[in-house]
Amino acid sequence: MFKSFAKPQSSSGVLTFIRGKRISATNPATERIVQQLSVLAAGRKQPKLLNLSNEDIVKHRTIMSAWKLFTRKKKRAEQEQLNQQYESICNAMNDLKETSPALFELASHKEKRLRFPLEMRFPTEYPPNRPWVYNFTGPVKKRK
Amino acid sequence: MSKVFIRQFSKTGISLKPGYSTVHPVHHLVKVEKSNLKPSLKELLVPHDDITSIKYRPYEIDQDRIAEHYTNTLKSDLMLNLYQYDADTIPANPKRSWGVDSPYKLYRPLKKPLGSIRTRGQIKPVTAKNIPEITGVTVHSYNKKALVEPWLDITTRLQVATLTNVKPKQLFAKRNLVEFKLRKGKPVGGKVELTGRDMTQFLSTLIELVLPRIRTFKGIKNSSGDKKGNITFGLTNEDMQFFPEIEAFQDLYPNMNGLHITIKTSASNDEQARTLLSAYGFPFTNA
Repeated sequence: MFKSFAKPQSSSGVLTFIRGKRISATNPATERIVQQLSVLAAGRKQPKLLNLSNEDIVKHRTIMSAWKLFTRKKKRAEQEQLNQQYESICNAMNDLKETSPALFELASHKEKRLRFPLEMRFPTEYPPNRPWVYNFTGPVKKRK
Repeated sequence: MSKVFIRQFSKTGISLKPGYSTVHPVHHLVKVEKSNLKPSLKELLVPHDDITSIKYRPYEIDQDRIAEHYTNTLKSDLMLNLYQYDADTIPANPKRSWGVDSPYKLYRPLKKPLGSIRTRGQIKPVTAKNIPEITGVTVHSYNKKALVEPWLDITTRLQVATLTNVKPKQLFAKRNLVEFKLRKGKPVGGKVELTGRDMTQFLSTLIELVLPRIRTFKGIKNSSGDKKGNITFGLTNEDMQFFPEIEAFQDLYPNMNGLHITIKTSASNDEQARTLLSAYGFPFTNA
């Protein structure tokens, strides 16, 4: 937009004009909010569109389709494994029911509030010196 | 036989009647976005995952260890732990009819579901195909101070954007309430719906950096949940300082606002959802 001319500034009672100096009609607090709003707004933040040559586009698409194929195969294999695991759980429970009803009772008993241990962590690039505590017993519960 | 095209007072000829089409008009039913037809806007029609699109953004740029841990370890563990022998589908608990023997009952608003206020969908037994997973996270920040000082709305939205790396949607007040100084349509904060990489990034920050450092945080309440497998909890404005995005620049954010975080899961009831979240490292308490 057009530059607004500087308003007369009074310093020590004398008005001084500064020609062409850009002044803001806002106080610093408002300016801060305007800045925050400009951070949220999309204007001028769009990264430049990659200008790829035809060869590069073909390369990129080939790599991406190969990557898609790879992930699809991986997912299918994971699902296959889960299906097999589920089937073996069912088979084991059926077997247990016939061979040992007492053990079957124990196996089919469900905890009311099933929680994973809080000590469980997501794997990291820098694991602790003792990554797995083999004789872990869990927190000691106090009896009331 | 030739028709006579003379209009008389006694009769009106068929040939003079304006004809009408028996074909239903569709021109006003088919919505056409004219901007899509404009040749200069052709590049907007390219799908966003295509590299030639102006909206292209590469997502898979690094390892997603949260998602990998879920698929590699948690998924099979959850399947085993949630397995129930000979389990049947528990039918849904919908709102009930009052009866059809009188028009008064017929048009009355439906009765509450049996033994509950809220409805519940059917609960299917967990198999290899429907293991519960986190489908999305909603981060919602409602700033009631923004009703008095409108600029706080901008600050709140910026805060949500900083925490989640997604541009938040504007929230508006829904109704007029004098006691809360509510005016319908006033901007009161922002919310984002996170999925995919943004979601796992936010979850890992929350689980590993923020929640362990909040001294007052005892855990998510065991009673939290909407009966459909979505768990909500809140963080106060004092807890915001533990987010690493804000930690180093605390003087830039003098007016922090609390968050409501809803973790949406594909579990069919809350108890399964809690089990899933506990596997992610969220603590739960009765208090």
